[in-house]
Amino acid sequence: MVRMDNIVKSFGPQTVLSGVTFEAREKQIFGLLGRSGAGKTTIINILTNQLKADSGSHEIGAPPFETGLMLDEDGLFPRLSCIENLDVFATIYKIPRKKALEALQNVELGGSEKKPVNKLSKGMRQRLALARAILHEPKALFLDEPTSGLDPVTAHGIHKLILQLRDRGTTIFLTTHNMEESVKLCDYVALLHGGKIVEQGVPTEVCERHNAMKTMPDMEAVFIKMTGEAAE
Amino acid sequence: MRSISAIFVKQARDALKNATIFIQFILFPIMAFVMTEMMAKPDPEIPNSMFAVTFGAMFAGMTPLTLIAMAIAEDKENKSLRFLSMAGVKPHHYLTGITGFVLIACAVVSVLFALIAEFSGMLMIRFVGVLLLGATASAALGATVGIFAKNQQSATALATPLAVMLALVPMMSQFNESVRRIAGVVFTVQMNVIFTNEPTASMAEPLLMICANIVVFVGLFVLAYKKKRLNS
Repeated sequence: MVRMDNIVKSFGPQTVLSGVTFEAREKQIFGLLGRSGAGKTTIINILTNQLKADSGSHEIGAPPFETGLMLDEDGLFPRLSCIENLDVFATIYKIPRKKALEALQNVELGGSEKKPVNKLSKGMRQRLALARAILHEPKALFLDEPTSGLDPVTAHGIHKLILQLRDRGTTIFLTTHNMEESVKLCDYVALLHGGKIVEQGVPTEVCERHNAMKTMPDMEAVFIKMTGEAAE
Repeated sequence: MRSISAIFVKQARDALKNATIFIQFILFPIMAFVMTEMMAKPDPEIPNSMFAVTFGAMFAGMTPLTLIAMAIAEDKENKSLRFLSMAGVKPHHYLTGITGFVLIACAVVSVLFALIAEFSGMLMIRFVGVLLLGATASAALGATVGIFAKNQQSATALATPLAVMLALVPMMSQFNESVRRIAGVVFTVQMNVIFTNEPTASMAEPLLMICANIVVFVGLFVLAYKKKRLNS
């Protein structure tokens, strides 16, 4: 469904990607892991044709209008309300307003549809960006660090939604530098380092290969249990 | 067509919520109205249409330029253009939507100026038509500035001096022969020529000059677009 074959990309003298190859299968959550600046966003940019690779080939098994995108820069129209932001894309995709309202409900922004974007918190903006990305029920969804900077309850809500989307048949390609998130969500992961994929596989198998299975206190679960009932 | 109407509606909603933009649409007609009522009407030596004509020409020269430049630069800066492009909005759809809204709003305001000037019939059509031609030239220049500007700040820094120059050149050329000779090629000066000539005088030459301005600015825009692209 989402494939990259021997992709090379340089910015001036700096080579960011040097022969990246991977394949994300249909209806799975594929996690691209790497440190900040490893080239994860560059890979999304190349896959979504916002950036040209120097060499190599890539493909998404869906046309651009059947892909959804959520980036760290949300691209929302700041003075328009939540529903007006979605209206712009609903008109483009020829989707009834009812669906836009449903998308807002799905990301728990049901009561904030008339709130201007510049009055929303970071977490609410992230959720609105996600609502816009899934508005047209895309076949492939690209999420660039979807929970970065969010509190555990909001992040948990977004995790739930991502899993629901996968269960409904969406192929999800997400980048993260949160390793716990990758284990919790991803069916398959690839580790990007030094411009190359240095490890890939099913998360538990990857951890087993590196003797990295461990049990540790889960403070996040406690936090969500104590504070997150409203978001459930 | 759906993309154009989505962008048109988005821009209309945004203009109503953006004080900086909204003021530009109402400031010039309010000033023309107040000065006509307070200065022109009580003084028989000042024609009733003088202030409406002067402020109308200033409005047509300044407003579309700054508004379009700022709108494009803001959408670029916020990365909204990227999401629109992913949703299948072509650059020419985007530009048509933005420019279409600004020109229609300019047409409405031009009619207000005509009413303040107490023009009717053919005189009104002639006045509004010339203002709209001027607004089209200004819009093409604004789109060029918007493409070159990296963000809103640089768009304002580029557009404001250009807009002020376009607005003031007709007045300056009335007092200085050298300025008049050089500035005769500028569309706002030619608009002023049409408005200060007798209504029965031929408009062919100044209209040709305004159209030449439009051709030059559209040409500049095409060059800028080829060099920079909308989403660069």
